[in-house]
Amino acid sequence: MDTLPQLTDAPRGSRVAWIYGGVWGVLARGFLVPEEPPVLPSLRGEPIRSFRPAPNFLRYLLYPSLIGVAIACLVLLAVSVGVCVAAPALGLPLLAVSLPVIVFWVAIVVLAVHLRYDTTWYVLSDRSLRIRRGIWIIRETTITFENVQNVTVRQGPLQRVFGIADVLVETAGGGGGVGQHQAGASPAHQGLVEGIADAPAIRDLLTAKMRTSKSAGLGDDAASTPRTPTAWTAEHIAALREILDAARLLSA
Amino acid sequence: MPPTELSFDPQRIERPDRSLLWYYVLVAAATGPLFPITFLPLFFKYETLRYRFDDGGVSMSWGILFRREVYLTYRRIQDIHLTRNLLQRWMGLATVAVQTASGSATPEMSIEGVLQADALRDHLYREMRGAKGEDAETMPTPDANLPEDEALALLREIRDALNGYAAAKPAAARNSPEQ
Repeated sequence: MDTLPQLTDAPRGSRVAWIYGGVWGVLARGFLVPEEPPVLPSLRGEPIRSFRPAPNFLRYLLYPSLIGVAIACLVLLAVSVGVCVAAPALGLPLLAVSLPVIVFWVAIVVLAVHLRYDTTWYVLSDRSLRIRRGIWIIRETTITFENVQNVTVRQGPLQRVFGIADVLVETAGGGGGVGQHQAGASPAHQGLVEGIADAPAIRDLLTAKMRTSKSAGLGDDAASTPRTPTAWTAEHIAALREILDAARLLSA
Repeated sequence: MPPTELSFDPQRIERPDRSLLWYYVLVAAATGPLFPITFLPLFFKYETLRYRFDDGGVSMSWGILFRREVYLTYRRIQDIHLTRNLLQRWMGLATVAVQTASGSATPEMSIEGVLQADALRDHLYREMRGAKGEDAETMPTPDANLPEDEALALLREIRDALNGYAAAKPAAARNSPEQ
């Protein structure tokens, strides 16, 4: 969980990493995509952790899309070869064009998946959660655990293979998803922490907070209700009985 | 964190920044020939937009024909969404959308045109419920503070005083019961 901020596992020093770094430089300087992880203000000195999804989330995103690309490429190649056999004059240029298209396509898919992974951040403190997501539209959602109504852990079969899960944190108020088509709006009343390895840990943290919380999470102020000293022990009771005895003795 | 964010005072915010108008111009320009139709409401929204941040909440009003004023208290904020699209990032703007527990999916309040959006968001976060963990602080921990329990010490003192009184004056108390 203590994942340090770092770019994904593109081989260091290689040409690929260099190109990827260049793309990041353009995004960071030209398109003002923040490179540093988001933070939460630490109000009472509580520890703040910023982390990315688990590394397997990258593979979970990458492999299915690469398989999809591979199938499409096979179809494309088969068509090209078929045309080649039927009419070489037409097929050879087609093959010459389709090969770069395939290479370019694979590169775009890999790049997009890596960028999505690298721009997804979660920040966790004892009391709240912040999620940052997006490249063109950067959305940051902040939710305090005090307001959380329910926590859902989701894991599909493929996610189980990769050992990751999604945690959906929902606050009160309906209409999640309806707001998605509105421009610039995040899904309402929810925060999605996707692709993390220790989803049960986050779920346990949240459910523990929900159990100890005195309020319903609807803006009601638990601290304002008068708190009687319920912490009296057997010693208090014994002392009170002795006082009662002494008082009886006095009044007798 | 730069010192400007430390000196951020939301109560000084009353009007959106001028760059919001240019942002609206560009947004309306993106619709092409519909520019006059889309820009006019946005222009009037910018012209009439007023914010008022006080200690307990924030109010936002706009509109020229149909006026709207939204007020919400910080403590009822459920979640805060800070959204920046490419254009907004280039212009230093952001949308801070605030949601309460009402049933609508659209944010109850979308604060636009504040340049220090991060500071504003963190201000709202500080004021919203559960951010400070005040519940954990007031939660009594019975066993931890037992040795220096003031209530118990007081009770024992009262008991001792009563015992002393009862031991010293039983005869006097019985001799003059009519008092």
